[in-house]
Amino acid sequence: MGRLSWRLAEVAEVRNETPRVVSITLEVPGWDGHLAGQHVDVRLTAEDGYQAERAYSIASTPDGERVELTVERLEDGEVSPYLAGELRKGDQLELRGPVGGYFVWEPDRGGPLLLVAGGSGVVPLMAMLRRRAAAGSQVPARLLYSSRTLEDVIYREELDRLAGAADGLTVTHVLTRAQPPGWTGYARRIDAVMLEEVGWRPGERPLGYVCGPTRLVEVVAGHLVALGHDPARVRTERFGPTGVP
Amino acid sequence: MDEHDLRLDGNALAGMLTEVFDFEMTVERGGCAGCGAVNQLGAMLVYAHGMGAVACCPGCGQHLLRIARGEGRWWLDLRGLAWLQLDERARMAG
Repeated sequence: MGRLSWRLAEVAEVRNETPRVVSITLEVPGWDGHLAGQHVDVRLTAEDGYQAERAYSIASTPDGERVELTVERLEDGEVSPYLAGELRKGDQLELRGPVGGYFVWEPDRGGPLLLVAGGSGVVPLMAMLRRRAAAGSQVPARLLYSSRTLEDVIYREELDRLAGAADGLTVTHVLTRAQPPGWTGYARRIDAVMLEEVGWRPGERPLGYVCGPTRLVEVVAGHLVALGHDPARVRTERFGPTGVP
Repeated sequence: MDEHDLRLDGNALAGMLTEVFDFEMTVERGGCAGCGAVNQLGAMLVYAHGMGAVACCPGCGQHLLRIARGEGRWWLDLRGLAWLQLDERARMAG
């Protein structure tokens, strides 16, 4: 049977990304690789048998049996406060995956790429950028990434490094709530003008991937289609009602 | 927050659908029985809850697929799909 079953993974490392976000490296026996943009379902079981499942995007590129997730702690969440707060090296987790084939990019799909992220919506897009870098791909790519403050920017140093490689990637940050002194970048929510300034022209036929809180995703996807982009080339992944950058 | 904030994509059902189907269903195509739009299931609009989910046409909002589980059974209502295409290339490996 090819159906996916739940399996046990062991936590190899927990790393703080921002005050509310951690990256968790898991060792998953028998892991057979994944595509950039896929996710896993994580299942927690309480002592009384109650189970809660959530989907988390894979952040890493394929690396043997190691899989990295990046998780934002939602204060009223059922699963994330445990993953991004209590989980320690050596703990075990039940997971199922990789799953999802729709919100996926691999270098052979080409571009140019327009990646738009709100908050932890950057995670599957980071998997795509890491995959692009690992493959030595020259596909032109632009990331427009909205965060509340500079401290909330996930993968900030790595994004700086990737953008500095001068291989066709540009990264544009948007800070919606507070900006450091001297900030010259965008300081408002993503809008149509910004997408026109940062994105590709519709005639360049970009592949769009938009990920984040549902409201941001719907606003951005709506603007892109209104600007003339082909709806079939704009893929979305809504995270639901999580924090709104 | 209103109900729109709770909306997810068909992609969010990928794991649950692998418990029922042997295919990576989010890349499979279906036709809406309401408006005729053809979409990959990953593009559906999904409202999920603990027991299951309702997935709607991104074009007209028609319910395409309802899935629920409980007491060792799965319940599927596919009447909103005029047709569903399963591509052998998307069969789960293993």
